[in-house]
Amino acid sequence: MIKKRKKDLYLSDRQPLTPLGKFFLALNYFVLISYSLVILWPLSRMVISAFNGKQGRYISLSGKYEFSFKHFEYLFKETLYLTWVKNTLVIAVATAILTILIVSFTGYAYSRFRFKGRKTSLMTIMLLQTIPTFAGITAYFTLHSIISDFFPFITRQMMLIFIYTGGGIAANTFILKGYMDSISTELDDAAMIDGCSYMQIYKLIIMPIVRPMLAIIALWSFIGPFMDYMLPKALLTKPESYTLAAGLYTLMNNRETLNQPAFAAGGLLTALPIVILFIVLQKELISGLAQGSVKG
Amino acid sequence: MRVELKNIGKKYEGRENFTIRGVDLVIEDQEFCVILGPSGCGKSTLLRMIAGLNSITEGELLFDGKLMNKVPPKDRDIAMVFQSYALYPHMSVYENMAFSLAMRKESKKLIDERVREAADVLQISEYLYSKPSDISGGQRQRVALGRAMVRKPKVFLMDEPLSNLDAKLREHMRIELVRLHKSLDTTTIYVTHDQTEAMTMASKIILLDQGKIQQVGKPEEFYNRPENLFVAGFIGSPTMNILKGEIRGGSFQSLDRSLNIKPSQEDYELLKGYENKEVYLGIRSERFLPDKEGSLEVLVEVIEMLGKEKLLYTKLGEHSFIISVPGHSQYEEGKKYKFSPDKGALHFFDGESKERIN
Repeated sequence: MIKKRKKDLYLSDRQPLTPLGKFFLALNYFVLISYSLVILWPLSRMVISAFNGKQGRYISLSGKYEFSFKHFEYLFKETLYLTWVKNTLVIAVATAILTILIVSFTGYAYSRFRFKGRKTSLMTIMLLQTIPTFAGITAYFTLHSIISDFFPFITRQMMLIFIYTGGGIAANTFILKGYMDSISTELDDAAMIDGCSYMQIYKLIIMPIVRPMLAIIALWSFIGPFMDYMLPKALLTKPESYTLAAGLYTLMNNRETLNQPAFAAGGLLTALPIVILFIVLQKELISGLAQGSVKG
Repeated sequence: MRVELKNIGKKYEGRENFTIRGVDLVIEDQEFCVILGPSGCGKSTLLRMIAGLNSITEGELLFDGKLMNKVPPKDRDIAMVFQSYALYPHMSVYENMAFSLAMRKESKKLIDERVREAADVLQISEYLYSKPSDISGGQRQRVALGRAMVRKPKVFLMDEPLSNLDAKLREHMRIELVRLHKSLDTTTIYVTHDQTEAMTMASKIILLDQGKIQQVGKPEEFYNRPENLFVAGFIGSPTMNILKGEIRGGSFQSLDRSLNIKPSQEDYELLKGYENKEVYLGIRSERFLPDKEGSLEVLVEVIEMLGKEKLLYTKLGEHSFIISVPGHSQYEEGKKYKFSPDKGALHFFDGESKERIN
């Protein structure tokens, strides 16, 4: 008896839905579900094709299916897939570390120090940011030829790292500065009286507090090289130096090396490192995202 | 430690004017000195200059006769308690308290001893391993005090440390702070905008306004002998009744001639030079005596019951007075009563310079 009455209690804080409200709710669900189907269907085709032994060089939607690792084998044996993975990981990790390092300094400086040109420089970087990275491609070429004259040890891959890092500095500085601005400067004062230098204040006090934000920035910078196709394609010349995106694309557009199911398999594997990183950083990421809205 | 300020001034970068200027001050060893003032008067700036967090634009800061202008905060042998407590959120209470000693590379044993000693005094031993976010505001306040104590500094600096506590706790902490100050034998410099805190805790009050010192002295001096009109209006709650008028024929007349108050003989001697000149007259609300023959017949408009006393908001012609009477006495709104001012408690101020006359 009591159980039933409990069930009947209306517990929501919102007003009960009117018939019209119910209709719109149904409409909402309909739109959202069809939209997710549009996204999920090709993804599922990719996963299925990657494991489908009956697929030839082209992905066909005919119903034949046989589970096999054939395409993965092809990927590892016939292509430079592992080299591409290595290249991408090196570039991604270097980019993430470099970005965190630089943004730590710039974010802290913009948040905590008052200096001439602080506002103007911040605005300038922000405006420059609106020009897409790819628009500077000729500049990168010229820069690289100039730099490689003086410092021959700087490879095109290193160049790529610098471009990714540089491209991320402005936006990430902004984000980190904003996050640091929400931390009371009294903490800095207290640390200073306790005997910290500016570097120690950052390392011992500020960095642990902004760690969630640093984790997000690191993740973004890490993912960048995995996603970007254009810059590596334009800057890197040899297939041995390709990153994953550029390398996998050779399985799509080159008639000699064309193998679409292998491309699908490669794409699937590419997601792995990112997923792993997500899981590792999960705790930091969630607290970082949540803290932005509700400050404890 | 004796703290001495000589002609101190501060101008912030990008500002037109000096925030404070020409501050001369001596704070004796073991004094509990409260810097009091309305917001924006430069009191926090002054404290931050003593702490070394803000640079000193002009003048000299001396600790026991040693020039401190260029000495970094960590070498000044000071500790500071902040308004927001400024506890490091990622460290436990213990780590927070140990931090300054750890930065000084003291031995683990000494750190542990000091932290536990301070925790005992402040009764926070139970929370030593909690994070600041897990303890209440009052406990955080104690941790902030503890963090300052473990250093055993020569000067304690406090920047409105009680303003984030609720009224009951604030009352309690006021007494604790004074007790702590006495047991530690240090000099304390305490910044607040709350005159009750200043009056109850200080052995010396410094009242600042617009970057200038208005008065320095003991709490009772502030209440009984305010040196200028600003101090008279700032100290005391309810605010002192202040009338503008002239001295005519040896007695005070309000500008519209509706009021006539005769000063005492002693005051009159000092007021002789002000015949026909503008002066201000101040009377504290509790210095009105109920008097059937009284010269002031006032109309009670509103009565505020505070328990031990009643505040009567009254009108006499165009003038309004706040009069406080014992809580048990009978008064009614809308009725007229007669009072006379206590002649021994009249404050006269120069109409132009606004300085005290008597």
